[in-house]
Amino acid sequence: MDAKLQVPTLDSPLPVLEPIKGVKKAPLEEYFTSGHRTCQGCESALVMKLMVKAAGPRTVVLGSTGCMYVANTTYYSTSWVVPWMHTQLGSSGSAAVGTAAGYRALMRKGKIKREPINVISFCGDGGGADMGLSAISGALQHMDYNHLILLYDNESYANTDIQASGSTPYGANTTFSPHGKAKRILHKRWKKNMAAMLAAGHPECRYVGTVCASYAVDFMNRIRKALSIGGPTFIHSLDPCPKGWDYDPMLSHELGELAVLAGIWPLFEVEQHQLRLYGKTRAIVEGRQKRLPVRDYLMKQGRFAHFTNDDIDYFQAKIDEMWTRWLIPGVLPFSTDVLNERPPA
Amino acid sequence: MARTISVEVVYRGIFQKTLAKNICRGIVLAARKEGKIGISFGRYGDSPERNGIPAKNFAIVAPNEEELQLSMAQYEPETTDVTISVDDMLCKGVESWAWYGLQPINQKVRDQGTLIVTSMLPAEALINFCHTKPTPYRLAVIPAIPSFSGLWVYKDDHTDVRILGALPKVCPELVSLDSIQKAIKEEWNDDLKVTSARRTYEHTATRTVRPGEGNPEVPFKFDLPGWTKMREGVTIDGIRLGEPIKFGDQIGGYRPARNPYFKKYTTRTMRPVIDFDKCIKCTLCWLQCPDSCFDVTPDQTYDLNAEACCGCGVCEAVCPVDNCVTMVNEAEFADNKSQWEAYKQDKQAYQAWVDEKLTHRPERSHGFRYRGQYQEQVAKQGVGPGGAE
Repeated sequence: MDAKLQVPTLDSPLPVLEPIKGVKKAPLEEYFTSGHRTCQGCESALVMKLMVKAAGPRTVVLGSTGCMYVANTTYYSTSWVVPWMHTQLGSSGSAAVGTAAGYRALMRKGKIKREPINVISFCGDGGGADMGLSAISGALQHMDYNHLILLYDNESYANTDIQASGSTPYGANTTFSPHGKAKRILHKRWKKNMAAMLAAGHPECRYVGTVCASYAVDFMNRIRKALSIGGPTFIHSLDPCPKGWDYDPMLSHELGELAVLAGIWPLFEVEQHQLRLYGKTRAIVEGRQKRLPVRDYLMKQGRFAHFTNDDIDYFQAKIDEMWTRWLIPGVLPFSTDVLNERPPA
Repeated sequence: MARTISVEVVYRGIFQKTLAKNICRGIVLAARKEGKIGISFGRYGDSPERNGIPAKNFAIVAPNEEELQLSMAQYEPETTDVTISVDDMLCKGVESWAWYGLQPINQKVRDQGTLIVTSMLPAEALINFCHTKPTPYRLAVIPAIPSFSGLWVYKDDHTDVRILGALPKVCPELVSLDSIQKAIKEEWNDDLKVTSARRTYEHTATRTVRPGEGNPEVPFKFDLPGWTKMREGVTIDGIRLGEPIKFGDQIGGYRPARNPYFKKYTTRTMRPVIDFDKCIKCTLCWLQCPDSCFDVTPDQTYDLNAEACCGCGVCEAVCPVDNCVTMVNEAEFADNKSQWEAYKQDKQAYQAWVDEKLTHRPERSHGFRYRGQYQEQVAKQGVGPGGAE
């Protein structure tokens, strides 16, 4: 474990991206600008904006199908300043590798200048956590290419009007899981633990992290770290979605914070085999911040409006378990006890 | 009845999706009671809907199947007998998801047709927002706070049935009050809703809007490229980089270049007002805005660019200073000018302007804030002055 990870033998140079020290040092330039067709209060649009703000002008962005494809580049107009290309739903991983390999080859052959070019490929939770999982896994094994895969997770197929995905949390109302009289809870799957899965499953990968755009500076610094560390990297962002989660758009920022403060969305990074909790998550674990009850988070969202007190208690128990019984709290969902709990519904 | 009648509902995407569906469905169900045939459908180009972005739903009622088929061959009706705007701020214009530029709310209303608006504003104020039209039309205002909810929890404040009740009054050809009441009873099995519809029928009055009355502005539009003009790979130019702002002797800050084809002048129902004297330059409104609608001024304060603001309210939510960034009803604004420039020109006058605007905070809610909210609101507001006794 102590052995430093092998630094990939890279033909393409790496960018130097210094950490941003505080909100007042955030770059003024926008590389993803106004005039996209997203919802009022769309946190995923904010993720796009902060992602390229951190990455800078020498960046190529690839986007698999989802809200951030359809809403940002429709009807022959766009709000991207940096080059952007669409890729198919499940192929954010393949597109990242292909593009990084293409630039490397062009630089090797002297057809373009040798310089650091950031390749960022984004996918939604449908495109990434469901359909594109194998391609992302493949991409994270190819140590020769520098790229970042960013999963913006609004916990449903929001673009096509909220079908349940592998990232939809327990009990949430979606068009695939409407609550009814006979069955109050139709969606009984627990959210996929993507970042930890990819970190555990790709031992050579040098950077995997989770972020939330409510903490903009932390967010941008994770992007910078992932882009400048070398090799394939992965970042998972939780994006409150006013459309699918059904809340007043002005709560977008607050719900991101609440997800972290309630312990539902742990902020962590695995950097060269070293796991580090950061931000408010670290404060909670170190006892400097009280973990909030999940009720505060759930009852602000129409998708959980059908929850009874039993459902909220069950949700709370699962989150408590995450912090008290998991092998690595908030990250690795194994425990030494065999749990035979069943949902109350 | 010998002719086909078209009704459109212009609404805020997602927030009013269920409301628009209920209205159009109600129209067709009521028409069935009279042996007519109809169809209710959403506009394809508006899908997938986005919160707050204007969308349209249609109801077409025909005397027989052949006539209905004829009208269904069209993408959407060319003219409407009744246009219903369930949010009064849509009177300022409709910037759809699909690429149409800005359409006047009354664009499709036929000669002597009717525009129904749910609003607490007087008819004269609404007419000032609506673009002028060469032909006369009638305006009916249903007094109600525009009804906003979300995808999963519906705010049942009777707006749907009240609009259904107004329809036989403004367009007796379409359907009778009796059929509307029967359809409501059958669909919702709620006598209070039937009463709401009848009361609105009794209270609804129309006012004729003469040609030339209203907002004389020419709505912005642009040329749509045909498919022959598209480049290989359907590539398009990106947006260029932004530039510092020049104002008087000052140069500094940053104004991003923006997508020139999709502006958000009418996407919002409220907009932020900024008290520059209170600003502590914390950057949060600018940094956390999903629409990048703030320009960084040479003073390092943050100025709203009304072209890009969709009125979500995140800036107000993140601002750490009381009354520094405050959301104000969109109805209170007649233009989209820079607030910072007004502030620089005359600070005292600007302060007076801010103080006045701050008395018009939105009473409407954009949607779900906590469980039980809608029931509380409905209990407080009742179902409107034209509602149940």
